[in-house]
Amino acid sequence: MANRVAIVGIGQTYHTSKRDDVSQPEMVAEAVRSALADAQLSIKDIESVFTGNMETFEGIFLPDHGMAAEIGALGKPGFKVNTGGTTGGSVVAEGLYMVSSGLYDLVMVIGFEKQDCGDTTAAITAAAVPVWAKGAATGAIGEFAKQALSYMETTGGTEEHAAMVRVKADKGACRNPYAHLRLGLKSIDEVLQSPYLVWPLRLLDFCPQSCGACALILASEKKAKKIHKKPVWLVDVEVVHQEPFRAGVFGDPTGKETYTQHVACEKIYKRNSITDVRKQVDMAEIYEPSNWEELNLYEHLHFCKKGESWKLIEKGITEIEGEFPVNPSGGVISTNPIGATPVIRVAEAALQIRGDAGEHQVTRDIKTAIATALGGPNWTVMFLLKRSL
Amino acid sequence: MAKESAKKKAEGPEYIRIKYNAHRPYDWSTGKYLGKVYAEAKENKKLVGNRCPQCKDIWLPPTPVCPKCKIDMGWDWVELPQTGTLYQYTYLVYPLWDPHYGEKWANPFPSAVILLDNGVFYRHWLEETDKEKLKAGMRLEAVWKEDYDERGQGVQDILYFRTIE
Amino acid sequence: MATVTEKLEGMDVWLYHGQIYIPNTFSAGAVGSRFLIELRDKKRIMGMRCPTCNRVYVPARSICKDCFKQLDEWVELSDKGTVLTYATDYETKSIQPTGAPIVYGIIQLDGADTGFVHMLGEVDPEHLRVGMRVQAVLQKEREGSILDIKYFKPLA
Repeated sequence: MANRVAIVGIGQTYHTSKRDDVSQPEMVAEAVRSALADAQLSIKDIESVFTGNMETFEGIFLPDHGMAAEIGALGKPGFKVNTGGTTGGSVVAEGLYMVSSGLYDLVMVIGFEKQDCGDTTAAITAAAVPVWAKGAATGAIGEFAKQALSYMETTGGTEEHAAMVRVKADKGACRNPYAHLRLGLKSIDEVLQSPYLVWPLRLLDFCPQSCGACALILASEKKAKKIHKKPVWLVDVEVVHQEPFRAGVFGDPTGKETYTQHVACEKIYKRNSITDVRKQVDMAEIYEPSNWEELNLYEHLHFCKKGESWKLIEKGITEIEGEFPVNPSGGVISTNPIGATPVIRVAEAALQIRGDAGEHQVTRDIKTAIATALGGPNWTVMFLLKRSL
Repeated sequence: MAKESAKKKAEGPEYIRIKYNAHRPYDWSTGKYLGKVYAEAKENKKLVGNRCPQCKDIWLPPTPVCPKCKIDMGWDWVELPQTGTLYQYTYLVYPLWDPHYGEKWANPFPSAVILLDNGVFYRHWLEETDKEKLKAGMRLEAVWKEDYDERGQGVQDILYFRTIE
Repeated sequence: MATVTEKLEGMDVWLYHGQIYIPNTFSAGAVGSRFLIELRDKKRIMGMRCPTCNRVYVPARSICKDCFKQLDEWVELSDKGTVLTYATDYETKSIQPTGAPIVYGIIQLDGADTGFVHMLGEVDPEHLRVGMRVQAVLQKEREGSILDIKYFKPLA
């Protein structure tokens, strides 16, 4: 990257399924104010504001046009991105490009979603090419259901392993005051007894629909050190697309299709001389809409060998106190305000590096972290974050 | 726009929510590539894909440019086999909102990814609704709408895939 | 409603006639709700004043666009105002609240610093002019919607 970029302000709202007390712009404003407070900056300091949101999910077209005042964007450059599930990753990448290029020194990136205003699955279904829509009429849930079945049939991983991932996520969420679902799950039996949504995917195997927003302030190297005593460096980013429908299946185990995660992580690992992820990176915040997808992502992101991800959860390696914690925040399966979700991944990874995650702070020292976004036709946005350059 | 005012008076203050259904009609053109799939389905009950002149991969939905080689696909059409094996499947338990029909909807037919006998992946519905009888690798064949006038809906001209053997 | 696909005459292209129905909800939030509830229950049009720049916003909003201040100083506004501009729509569309012709106006209520978008009624479009004095006419049955104001009519 051209110029170095750091995160100097982090703000998020609490997350819940319904926020009647705020309009969409007012909810986003909460995250904006919280990020400004974290950075101890005034809105006047911010040069440019970028937003990310899945507008069809909330029935308002061009929502960014109705909130310039609330997000402090009045009279400033900036625009909204929408790339499906990766939206939040794209908006962070967008801010990163802007600062890295030298165009701005201080930008704010915001992801938001107020899902009590629409029907997400209906919107995803409506996003499908109409003549093939019948095949996709289960929204994202059906895709993850098929992938769960493939996972079981090809790896030796079982429903119990997926349930262990769910319980791990809940443990993190219960310690995270910003998380949406904090269920206090006692055992995997509670997961295994939850009703089916789309067989074999159960209610507790899938993420909720959350309302919330997350804002980050990104700064150039010369500003970052003056603004925050603990800047977190966004040292690398990779954005990978693929063909939408033809990808067909999330995590096609034939290896016939390109996994965007493979492309993204291999490039990032190579550029940063990472040969053993679990040794050289301290933790990860990944985008796992389903517990099954988390197991798949362990393999796709090379946290383990192919077909062995269930062993990581069985041995407790990815637990909060484990050797390589994954999603100590509770992850996407606990909190999913879609446009904000990947911004939260980056924010949570940064909080862990700063040591400011609070009750869900990982006990071991976190110097390096991975954050990912996944969405739409299995696109990937991936970040590498570090405490020092 | 159907509009209704929803009032919520729980313990706390009252908050106003306005409910409405955004109903948007649209016309969507298949273009000539997908148009070829529609024509073959309607006229000949055939499933076709197009083949890349370079990597020879077959694409369904068809594509004007090979996503892998990034070159013009030309006009090389291949009839696909109507038999294959079950690769992945699932079915709806919880009724979801179907935006195309404007109602809650739970299709009884399992949704499947089928590996056609020439190695092309294809998604469709299965006739078999008994979960116990479904197994990855089972043999399937396409069942078409027999009435010529009912066809003309593209891949939906295939009713479902039926278990064989 | 079923979707239909038809072949275009003389072309190798098919046209899919579809529709999208997505159920949506708009949440007004605390400030927006109070504005609508005051209108519904007390027949009052409420605005919000920014303590820094003194601007009065109507409908009430929670933030000042220039000062980035969180606002909470409610002010009651007059139901009378001045037409800043207007336009007449002669075509009925499903998205509109009533049938055509509809006269849309931007009205500056007495005491407000912003324009208020609504409809103008009880007026011959030919007699409309900028600067005209108007007054709000409320619905008898009010439900907590901006349409609890039926329209603005010219002051005699």
